[in-house]
Amino acid sequence: MTAEGKPVPVPTAETRHYWTACREGVLSYQHCLACSRPQFYPRTLCVGCGGARLEWRASRGLGTVHAVTVVYRPPTAAFRPEVPYAVALVDLDEGFRMMANVVGGAPETVAIGDRVRLVWEQRGDAVLPQFTRAEGGGR
Amino acid sequence: MKSLRDKYCIVGVGETEYSRGSGRTTRAMAVEAVRNAILDAGLTPRDVDGMLDYQGGDSTLANWVAPDLGVRLNFYMDVFGGGSSTEALVGLATGAIEAGMCHTVAIYRSMNGYSEFRIGGTGVRAAQPVRSLDLAQVPFGMRSAGQNFAMTFMRHMYEYGTTSEQVAHVKAAHSTHASQNPKALLKERVTVEDVVSSRWIVKPLHLLDCCVETDNATCVIVTSSERARDLRRRPVHIMGVAGRVSKPRLDFHWAHGPITRVAGYYAKDIVFGQAGIGPEDVDVTGSYDAFTFTTMLQLEEYGFCKKGEGGQYVSSGIIELGGKRPNNTSGGHLCEGYTHGMNMVIENVRQLRGTVDDYCPRAAEGVHTYDYAPGRCRQVKDAEITMNLGWAIPPTGSALILHR
Repeated sequence: MTAEGKPVPVPTAETRHYWTACREGVLSYQHCLACSRPQFYPRTLCVGCGGARLEWRASRGLGTVHAVTVVYRPPTAAFRPEVPYAVALVDLDEGFRMMANVVGGAPETVAIGDRVRLVWEQRGDAVLPQFTRAEGGGR
Repeated sequence: MKSLRDKYCIVGVGETEYSRGSGRTTRAMAVEAVRNAILDAGLTPRDVDGMLDYQGGDSTLANWVAPDLGVRLNFYMDVFGGGSSTEALVGLATGAIEAGMCHTVAIYRSMNGYSEFRIGGTGVRAAQPVRSLDLAQVPFGMRSAGQNFAMTFMRHMYEYGTTSEQVAHVKAAHSTHASQNPKALLKERVTVEDVVSSRWIVKPLHLLDCCVETDNATCVIVTSSERARDLRRRPVHIMGVAGRVSKPRLDFHWAHGPITRVAGYYAKDIVFGQAGIGPEDVDVTGSYDAFTFTTMLQLEEYGFCKKGEGGQYVSSGIIELGGKRPNNTSGGHLCEGYTHGMNMVIENVRQLRGTVDDYCPRAAEGVHTYDYAPGRCRQVKDAEITMNLGWAIPPTGSALILHR
């Protein structure tokens, strides 16, 4: 996904560390030092216990597809060259859930339960986390 | 939870034409819809002293609409938001009256939802910058309402075996209802096969699983039961209301709980508790059918069937006119027109009055044939209790129970 005009992250105070880490090839998430819950995406307090002591940790970037859809009608013109494309909710092995595209291979073949691994997409000045099938399905 | 059961009524309903190209401003349409509701109630502009409306930067505020009508306000508020606002604002209207701030409230929504601001995320909305929390999904091409719901629908199919064909019955039923509705934008009856053979939008939604973006304005008027007694129409009493009840994570709702669980799970005890009834007591439902699947999910989450059996429920004939509990008898968002939730409340008010505008020869006098063959009746016989199931984004919903 490299077409012009797609949304590019504009880092905020809360998300700057996360996007900077992405540029360095690290998928980071927050870990609450009070209740040990993992948290994604970044914010100022733990949504589980309200704790303010949040530590950045690096994910290994391996996960399982929890749900997946295929987009045929692009939401904006910038996505027109990409359709059809797969969007998935991925449960990372560290215990948090995130959304991203599953790239590589036919989008219609991405299925719930598929193992996926992290890949990176350069978009403007930013680098976005994406996924591809980890075993067999990557093609 | 406190209940104001039967203390307040909906006494007037009104709307403009449903079109795809109104050629008018939202201000002019709002004025017409509110005017129609005032006349419907047998009120004059001087009898209305409260106004509520909702919008997303796409409409005209109450401070322009009220003076155009000659209405002097003791209370008004413009609310940001779309679906799920209708029922919530009915509840807020009763609260404003209960607090002594005003006595009669007009609630309106006016939108050029096709010709100006398309809800699908395209057009003007698509040009808005993407910042902060949206970055968890928007960069990946997830933006429109249908896309936002898609994960929930796909997971429901995976967990419960729900099929596209089952859910397509919602569109087929609503199109049948719309064919009995002179106001409906899409009056042509469609079949399950028509739905599942229409082109993909976002899995599992085909084109005909999606509602019809529309230009329109709509209005309902709320006042006390005492005032309602003297008005032109049979009063429709508010038994219970729940407004914008939400899942624990409104922002990235997929991160909390089963993603097939929707807001009705949290709203049902509030609204049924106030009303003192259960799903089995409801004669007519009005679901937020932005998509066929939203109807199915709401009906099961509010307890009209067991969780996971929504596919069987909507394909069983229960939701059709002549069935045990018809849903969206006007054709709803899928066929009558997309109004951000208002037209299903308006329709249920008319059902309870016994005065829906169908093709019965004496419909204007409130005489119906109860013949649901094409081009005939859509009045439900002896409808006593209706329920509206409002919705917005997947984790937020509202509900309203009315009786005659």
